[in-house]
Amino acid sequence: MFEYTVRRILVALPAILGVIVVVFLMVRLAPGDPALLLAGEFADQETIERVRERFGLDKSLPEQFAAFVGNLAQGDLGRSTRTNRLVTDDLRTFFPNTLELALAGITVAFLIGIPAGVISAIRRNSWVDAVVTFIALLGVSMPVFWFGLLAILFFSVDLGWFPVAGRGTFSHLVLPAITLGVSSTAIITRMTRSSMLEVLDQDFVRTARAKGVLNRSLIIKHALRNALVPVITVAGLEFGRLLAGAVLTETVFTWPGIGRLLVDSILARDYPVVQGAVMLIAVSFILVNLVVDLVYGVIDPRIRYD
Amino acid sequence: MNRLVRLLVSLLAVAAMTAWASAQTLVIAQGTDAITLDPHDVTDSPTATVTSHIYETLFELQPDGTIVPHLAESYEVSSDSTTWTFNIREGVTFHDGTPLTAEIVAGSMERFIDPDNAFRFRFLLDRITEVSVVGPMQVQVQLATPFAPLLAHLTHNTTAIVLPAAVEELGEAFGENPIGTGPFAFESWDRGSRVNLVTNENYWGDVPAIDGVSFLAVPENTTRMALVESGEAHVAVRVPPQDIQRLDALDTVTVENVSSLRTIYIYFNHTLEPFTDPRVRQAFNYAVNKQDIADFVLGGAVRPSDAAIAPGIFGYTDVGGYPYDPERARELLAEAGYPDGFSTTLYSPSGRYLQDIQITEAVQSQLAEVGIDATIETLEWGAYLELTRQPAGENEVPVAMLGWGTVTGDADYGLYALFHTSQHVPDGSNRSFYSNALVDDLLDEARVNTNPAEREALYEDALRIINEDAPWLFLHSETQLVAVNDAVSGLVIHPTERVLAWNVTVE
Repeated sequence: MFEYTVRRILVALPAILGVIVVVFLMVRLAPGDPALLLAGEFADQETIERVRERFGLDKSLPEQFAAFVGNLAQGDLGRSTRTNRLVTDDLRTFFPNTLELALAGITVAFLIGIPAGVISAIRRNSWVDAVVTFIALLGVSMPVFWFGLLAILFFSVDLGWFPVAGRGTFSHLVLPAITLGVSSTAIITRMTRSSMLEVLDQDFVRTARAKGVLNRSLIIKHALRNALVPVITVAGLEFGRLLAGAVLTETVFTWPGIGRLLVDSILARDYPVVQGAVMLIAVSFILVNLVVDLVYGVIDPRIRYD
Repeated sequence: MNRLVRLLVSLLAVAAMTAWASAQTLVIAQGTDAITLDPHDVTDSPTATVTSHIYETLFELQPDGTIVPHLAESYEVSSDSTTWTFNIREGVTFHDGTPLTAEIVAGSMERFIDPDNAFRFRFLLDRITEVSVVGPMQVQVQLATPFAPLLAHLTHNTTAIVLPAAVEELGEAFGENPIGTGPFAFESWDRGSRVNLVTNENYWGDVPAIDGVSFLAVPENTTRMALVESGEAHVAVRVPPQDIQRLDALDTVTVENVSSLRTIYIYFNHTLEPFTDPRVRQAFNYAVNKQDIADFVLGGAVRPSDAAIAPGIFGYTDVGGYPYDPERARELLAEAGYPDGFSTTLYSPSGRYLQDIQITEAVQSQLAEVGIDATIETLEWGAYLELTRQPAGENEVPVAMLGWGTVTGDADYGLYALFHTSQHVPDGSNRSFYSNALVDDLLDEARVNTNPAEREALYEDALRIINEDAPWLFLHSETQLVAVNDAVSGLVIHPTERVLAWNVTVE
């Protein structure tokens, strides 16, 4: 397993390198002059040139790339051109917030999605199944932005149960976590349902039932455990998506996460921060997938890594 | 037992008072987080709002447009208007206890104008050739040529006085650890969400009645409004026009409407046909009903322009603007050789200014009424700035919307950069390539003439010529819509687009 892990990490390196090159080029090839944006609409030519020099934007692309890679090797991602802050500091501040939110979101998705999926599978074609399927469909189709705003207006402004926005206490986390987790919940519900249906149809389940295994233990121990592998795959992908795609939820709830940092930086053509944030997101996506692969072995001992 | 009860009661009372006191922190919800807390490096209003509570300038621009001494107590100016001596206020200390001296003021000014620092508002003071300390509390600055708007420029938030020793000591971290002389001192900054300030109990002026101010960064409009509705914030800036009525209907919130020094306009590229003909430019002005746009697109929240700069700016005069007269527009187009109108492209930012793209769409439909077929082109802000800044000959943007905030409160800043021939892009900000020798002379003269009455007359003449030449489709000056909880009084919504809590009380 150790060997497998090392091999996977080595295989991921070219992907990360590719991400670095693509991001480096993409931000620079997009229209919009960062020096002009930094200097603002009021700036004269002299100011713009001075700003260009101050942030090293007067250098050629290969020079900039060499400097970037050289610094990267020393763990230095440079300074934000917008805030003059170290990019590593920015990532350290914003990424844990996103991680917290994504973990809370995926927890919500598990806590609701798996029981809902199981129930709708064992009550196949009943009204419960229909309701669960309908809600899951709604969950997938609902725009996050809209759902978040409605949640704020109803639970925070009208009922006063939760704070409107910001990060801090547990109650600050509730609405954003639910908002972020809604579509994942729906996906996990549907995945659990179909995977359970497949397992429930298999011979070993029928045998167990014939042998008189109690219903609850049959479902949890025998069926669910076997049904989980595809669910974990999907959940892993979902978690990666939540890490990278929490920007709408972060914006609605004023959650200081990496998604918002990234969008602000793109709009300001803040190259160092865009590069740093995209790299971090890419690395964490790769790591999440690795963890998912390792978890398979825990759920299903038949899976071997060699 | 009795003593225990009494102790408990007094403890509870103390706890209650502390709770009350902590409720006295004013919470202001802005659209974005502060970018840096180094006042010299600030370029946006939300950041300027924060630094204006921590740092102070030598002079203050009052909301009514008058300039009053602040960290400077008084000043003298030489007869040739090139030597200015500032007497620094006694008894002012920085938040770390360092007393304010002429040495510090001079050091701060030198830092601001040092070209190596590349501060973006350096141009405000770049006519200063020398700063010298002439007494313990006296600073003298030397100008190459007389420069009338100097005092106005010294009111700008970026010229605030910083402690050179702190700059030296903190290096790059200076922007995260501000030490100023202002009524509030820095407490903490949660990046991306809030900046917390506490009241400076040793403030030289009136110590604020509240315990502190927190600035929240809330980009989403609906969320920001929900914060004032729920009472979690006392103040929310940038109320969307469609929310005014709903918020005003609440018992606890009032939407304040205060004019801003920002003018919104659509300029014509004078290097491209048919905009070389003043009749065409005037026709655009007659064809668009600015009052309707103000009323229906902006909920009555703006003021249709009657000059190239907004009221409240030194040098402003109502020069009439253009009434809505589509008949006259058609006549002018016919005279110019376009009886059937023509087609053009109308560039517009989207999301930069209040309802910008909606305004452009309204303009488009009104132009269609007089036969002008305008296609709207919208670009992301970074690309927009770059495209509109191309030099003459390469610049293919015929008509485009922009805004300009005359943040010094002096017409020089509002007119020189936008209308003087020397300021054509890319050298300056004159994106329309407007050029009129008469206007150039008037603006040059008003820049060096230090007699306020004469300057006002010069600007009036310039504004009249500009109005007649119609280099812009004059639209409106913006207003700041700020939702304020009714328990708050004394809040200043400054025309420079800053919200100031210096004298706030919360009931």
